[in-house]
Amino acid sequence: MSAIEELITELARLPGIGRKTAQRLTFHLLQQPAEQVGRLAAALTGVSERVRACTECGNLTEEQPCAICRDPRRDPAVLCVVEEPSAVSVVDRATEFRGRYHVLGGRLSPLDGVGPESLRIAPLLERVDRGGVREVILATNPSMEGEVTATYIQQLLAGRGLRVTRLARGLPVGGDLEYVDGVTLQHALSARQEIG
Amino acid sequence: MRAERLTVRGFRNLADLDRELPSAGAALLGRNGQGKTNFLEALYYPVLGRSLRAASDAEAGRLGGPGFQVEVRVAGGDGPDRRAHAVAVGFQASTRRKRIAVDGADVDRTADAIGHWVAVAFLPSDVGLAAGSAVERRQYLDRMLSLADRGYLVALTRYRAALAQRNSALRQGRPELAQAFDPPLATAGARVVRGRIAWSDGAASAFRDALASIDELGEGELTYRGRSELADADAWGPVLHEARAADEARRTTTVGPHRDDVALAIGGRALRPYGSTGQQRSGAVALKLIELATLRDACGFEPALLLDDVFAELDRERQRRLAERLLTGRQVFLTAPRRDELPENLDLEVWTVDGGVVR
Ligand SMILES: [Zn+2]
Repeated sequence: MSAIEELITELARLPGIGRKTAQRLTFHLLQQPAEQVGRLAAALTGVSERVRACTECGNLTEEQPCAICRDPRRDPAVLCVVEEPSAVSVVDRATEFRGRYHVLGGRLSPLDGVGPESLRIAPLLERVDRGGVREVILATNPSMEGEVTATYIQQLLAGRGLRVTRLARGLPVGGDLEYVDGVTLQHALSARQEIG
Repeated sequence: MRAERLTVRGFRNLADLDRELPSAGAALLGRNGQGKTNFLEALYYPVLGRSLRAASDAEAGRLGGPGFQVEVRVAGGDGPDRRAHAVAVGFQASTRRKRIAVDGADVDRTADAIGHWVAVAFLPSDVGLAAGSAVERRQYLDRMLSLADRGYLVALTRYRAALAQRNSALRQGRPELAQAFDPPLATAGARVVRGRIAWSDGAASAFRDALASIDELGEGELTYRGRSELADADAWGPVLHEARAADEARRTTTVGPHRDDVALAIGGRALRPYGSTGQQRSGAVALKLIELATLRDACGFEPALLLDDVFAELDRERQRRLAERLLTGRQVFLTAPRRDELPENLDLEVWTVDGGVVR
């Protein structure tokens, strides 16, 4: 495979990028000065070498634990459980939530070979059992699998003396939190419902 | 409801076309394999955003091509808001992505495009609807009720997704993980069962009347066969619990509307095992007449009708009676291999289909 073909193929693997876009990006890059392309390459390498999952919450970070877990102004007694790291920044930007997060790394989906053991559910229970957590907000995506995952975790948390809440309905069903506008998301967070 | 324009690119063996459609419809003549059925399939694609045959999107694209695009422009006058609309389905082979658009804007869910273009298709394989397997009758119910009732389609989509996840967990020998999918299975499944039972309550007398209208002797009976208590979401817990051993042993979900059927009988004899070929065909025709009536009642206008070489399957007398019932008062597209196989007194433009080209 030629170098050009290789880059097109790699870019086309990215979500939302088809083959035509990958070709356009490749030819655009070929017209850029070498140092510009070098910066992009270095940024890619840097991301893959330095960014890791936070050992505490699972969010992506360069330092352990992540900035949110280290921030003393954030309430460690309230955990917001999300599917993906991308949801952390979405909830953080769009809402006034100032607790901490727990990233599951996906949702239950046997079809994709994802059971509870593939998600960071055990670390969540450990975090809760260490004490100091008063409330867990289950903010999985409003898809069928997201709701199933929330219900599954809710049952595991029952009887641990916690307040367990779900984001309020009103979120578009089948969507991702990333595509929900801030007002809707803030509303869903404020109107979260008691489930256990 | 009338389609006034059809645009097709990259679809099966059809030459790309962009064509005005007569408001009465058209008869398409051509030898087998020339593309008559493909024309109907393209015209039907935007109805449910998928093939009227059991074909995948990839199969509907031209062999080795980049994908397809089909657009139907629907005339104003009836339809949900009495306005003209364009409903389009596009499929890109490289990404396997399908896009459904109404008036140029992509919709997030297929359900949001449903109802803008409503048609009923009658294929030669539908002649086996009364005599064939339960799968065919469930497909019949699901296609019809999805068009008649958006809530049904949303519930059905969710039910199928939950069922697929649950069955996958059972196949992996993980019953606890399968159980996690019981809540959406129950709520969506109950809605599906309710929709089907409500339909069959009305369809029982409609089936009797439809058979009488095509001079079939003997009284018709139609009943929904399934666990009707599952119309209540709260009933699912105990039922799934009771089925647990069977589910684990067979590694699949053994109860639910995906196992149900519509039982048909004429003159007290069940059609599937005991009906004559003629009775079984009449039963299928009656179901199609009910589909038209169900959609007309739900949508408030006459759906268009696509008939694929169906008359050849019927004797001359049944042909004549059926043509009287079907071919007036709605837009009709029908196909036949030769002109002399068309019903008599047909007042439609006649087109020919040859090598994928429609003239
Ligand atoms: Zn962290």
